Amino acid sequence: MTKNRATLLGDALATEGVEFKTELSIFEQHKLEWLRSNPGEFVVIVGTRVVGFHPDYESAFKAGLSAAGLGKNFLLKQIWAEEPVYLIY
Amino acid sequence: MKWRPNPSTLLLQGPVIDIIVSTTLPELEEGRSIGLEYSEFSMRALIDTGAALTIINPQIAKTCKLLQTDWNKITAVGGVEGEYPAYAAAISFPGTELPRLDVIRVVACPIIKQPFFSCLIGRDILRKWILTYDGRNGRFEVEA
Repeated sequence: MTKNRATLLGDALATEGVEFKTELSIFEQHKLEWLRSNPGEFVVIVGTRVVGFHPDYESAFKAGLSAAGLGKNFLLKQIWAEEPVYLIY
Repeated sequence: MKWRPNPSTLLLQGPVIDIIVSTTLPELEEGRSIGLEYSEFSMRALIDTGAALTIINPQIAKTCKLLQTDWNKITAVGGVEGEYPAYAAAISFPGTELPRLDVIRVVACPIIKQPFFSCLIGRDILRKWILTYDGRNGRFEVEA
């Protein structure tokens, strides 16, 4: 399933991508717990399965690829209290 | 990597570098072992100390069949803001000795419309480098 996040936020620019609805739901359910146990780390979620926590993006990606399989999407999210907004100037 | 365009070109284009974007190395190795083929995309990238993340034109993500891993919130010049898909990619720097980045997050955001480049190299990559910008003499240098 895809969605257009930018349009949903009222932005004029259209961007499509994988929604990660199930994975983001799992993330939100566990976020407070993970903020205490694994702050700043990357969590890998495949469907409803939490694969593990990693200190950097690259090792988390390799773990996700191994768990999900080639060509299959998985969520790889850094654990923050507040989702950062990245500035591009 | 040293580049000496001339002061006027450096002023006009900024510090640009040739890059190749492709699927991550782990995907390439696994995919090619079972006969899959992947595309890579050569382009010019602007080294942008004002960019927190590395940004690519969304078409590149499609062409290279990059794997999406998340969404990231972006606010850009001109009031552009929203959540944009983040992908895992590999980036190499042909003609230089800069080491290839086998797995790096890039965000696909259609803010890049200038004719000179299709990618902004952000501070997530710059944190691995030393960048020297000599505007007076029209040259810049990157050390990994």
